[in-house]
Amino acid sequence: MSAAATDTAPAAATMSPRQYRLIKALDIGGLIATIVTVIGAICWAFPLYWGVITTLKPEEDVVKPGFQPWPEHFTLDSYTHVIFGTRIGQWYVNSLTTSIAITVIVVIISALAGYAISQLKFPGRRILWWIILASFMIPVPALIVNHFVLMSQFHLINTWLGVILPQLVYGPVTVIIYKQFFDSVPKEFREAAKIDGANEYQLFFRLYLPMNWGITTALAIITFIGAWNQFLWPFLVATEEPMFNVTVGITQVTDAFGVKYSRDLGSAMLAGLPVAIVYLIFQRRVTQAIMLTAGIKG
Amino acid sequence: MGNVQLSHVSKRYGNVQVITDLSLDVEDGSFTALLGPSGCGKSTLLRMIAGLEEITAGQCFIDGAEVTDTAPAKRGVAMVFQSYALYPHLTVRQNIAFSLSIAGAKKEQQNARVAEVSRMLQLDQLLDRRPAQLSGGQRQRVAIGRALVRDPQVFLFDEPLSNLDAMLRVQMRLELAKLHQDLRTTMVYVTHDQVEAMTLADKIVVLDKGRISQQGTPLELYNRPTNKFVAAFIGSPAMNFLKAHVAGKQGNDVSLTLPGNRTATIASRGGNLSESEIEIGVRPEHLRLGQPGNGAAFDGEVRIVEQLGNSTLIYVDTAAGQLIVEGEGNLEVEPDEKVGVMLDTQKAHLFGSDAQVI
Repeated sequence: MSAAATDTAPAAATMSPRQYRLIKALDIGGLIATIVTVIGAICWAFPLYWGVITTLKPEEDVVKPGFQPWPEHFTLDSYTHVIFGTRIGQWYVNSLTTSIAITVIVVIISALAGYAISQLKFPGRRILWWIILASFMIPVPALIVNHFVLMSQFHLINTWLGVILPQLVYGPVTVIIYKQFFDSVPKEFREAAKIDGANEYQLFFRLYLPMNWGITTALAIITFIGAWNQFLWPFLVATEEPMFNVTVGITQVTDAFGVKYSRDLGSAMLAGLPVAIVYLIFQRRVTQAIMLTAGIKG
Repeated sequence: MGNVQLSHVSKRYGNVQVITDLSLDVEDGSFTALLGPSGCGKSTLLRMIAGLEEITAGQCFIDGAEVTDTAPAKRGVAMVFQSYALYPHLTVRQNIAFSLSIAGAKKEQQNARVAEVSRMLQLDQLLDRRPAQLSGGQRQRVAIGRALVRDPQVFLFDEPLSNLDAMLRVQMRLELAKLHQDLRTTMVYVTHDQVEAMTLADKIVVLDKGRISQQGTPLELYNRPTNKFVAAFIGSPAMNFLKAHVAGKQGNDVSLTLPGNRTATIASRGGNLSESEIEIGVRPEHLRLGQPGNGAAFDGEVRIVEQLGNSTLIYVDTAAGQLIVEGEGNLEVEPDEKVGVMLDTQKAHLFGSDAQVI
């Protein structure tokens, strides 16, 4: 022991105090974990990076043999072509209109339904709840044909309403989440408000909804993202180019011009940009909402 | 006017009878405490008065008008909940003004009333805070303020002090007493804490398993309990109970053979005495330590001594079981000491096998 002590003593004596402090503070395990996660992040982000730089390259540079991690020549041709050569502006308007409408209607209906099932006593409440839960088992593609026939009969093909209406029932999860959150509001609040003279509408709008404003925001964001990214139903119900939404429209860009990687990726980037911005701003709420839905579906 | 009358009310949840044929008069302007152990039905009774629980059978009257089927908001009552139930997303000002806002009162009217109530309860500086930013005592005052602003005929309190620490509880008790003195509004107060009931109430209603065990002033219940349940529940430390054999009776005076074969004569209240084995109830402060021997009711050995400062509690093992004796604060006595326990026969109570006072 004394030999070991004497062995280390000269080494410590040759090291400066700063070096000694640095080595002592170095967390080897943490360093390895950091390196691994950085590598993981690079692997995950690389396709996105590759997509972005591809959109900034001329088409001939994209198909050139060899690996070009940084463009030799920068160009915005792909973006200008998509913006000025297609109806992407109209598609944006369609996506924005339908997504916002779906978000607003789904959130309002789900909140009201969740409140009714949670707080009101009426005949059939339990059966209704079980039906909503059971509707999870019905896959959306199974309803597509029926929805199409229905929208056709109502002459809603190629209309915003035709895009919106069937998507209002795509996820009972929002009703379930609201019901759970309203259940968790202590009943003393309700009783205190009843003694104060509040009726059911006032209880809902002035108490339950404001007390759960955070979850409303989270669900609205995730509903918006889901509605924006929808492809199958908008693809079926909108057959005319002016009625496409962005996700459908970008596939038409591909069909019209063949495989042009730069332009294809440019349209994809423009399609996903609003959702990416929404996510970046509200990422905490999105994570919260995803955790909630995963908890319910899990 | 805000008297409350319950006439033969019962409450049943499925097959479980919670309140059984209970009748109660709460006088206008009184402070009435509903006291009892957990599960006795006191909160249920309060909620029935508030209109938050349906009355299975019977009637409820407030200020002479039947309100059995009337909505809570129309009964002229205001309630302070155990958890305060302050709306977390509203400021103190908005919480207090909530009922006025619901009723559609003008902003100026709301502000004036809130200012008046907040001044009374010293909440002026806190009006723009949210409940999460308040202490327990402040939250309780806001809850009281929210009730006050409605200018009710009857205040209902459901264990409002139970979430507070001991020191704050004493302070808030004084504030509640002062509030009642200032307002003279009828208050019905639910508690399981007999100290709160004794210190605040004009009248205590002791409940046991959904029935009224006894009702009266605090001193009536303390000095003249009519049954063993009330005798044991009221008073801290609790009353001592010991079995005794009836040796004889002359008028109301009952001669008793105590455990340990000493004798005592205790006056009954004139009730029917047909049993040979009865129970004596005596409060710790009505027992005294002395020398063991024939001068004492019991000989015993000190087991535990608790010094409280203003009094001393001595746990003595005797032939009658362990007795709690309350003595002076400066009493010097050690565990394992042999003592005699003297009984103040004037203050003792006799109970029959039906747990009723004799």
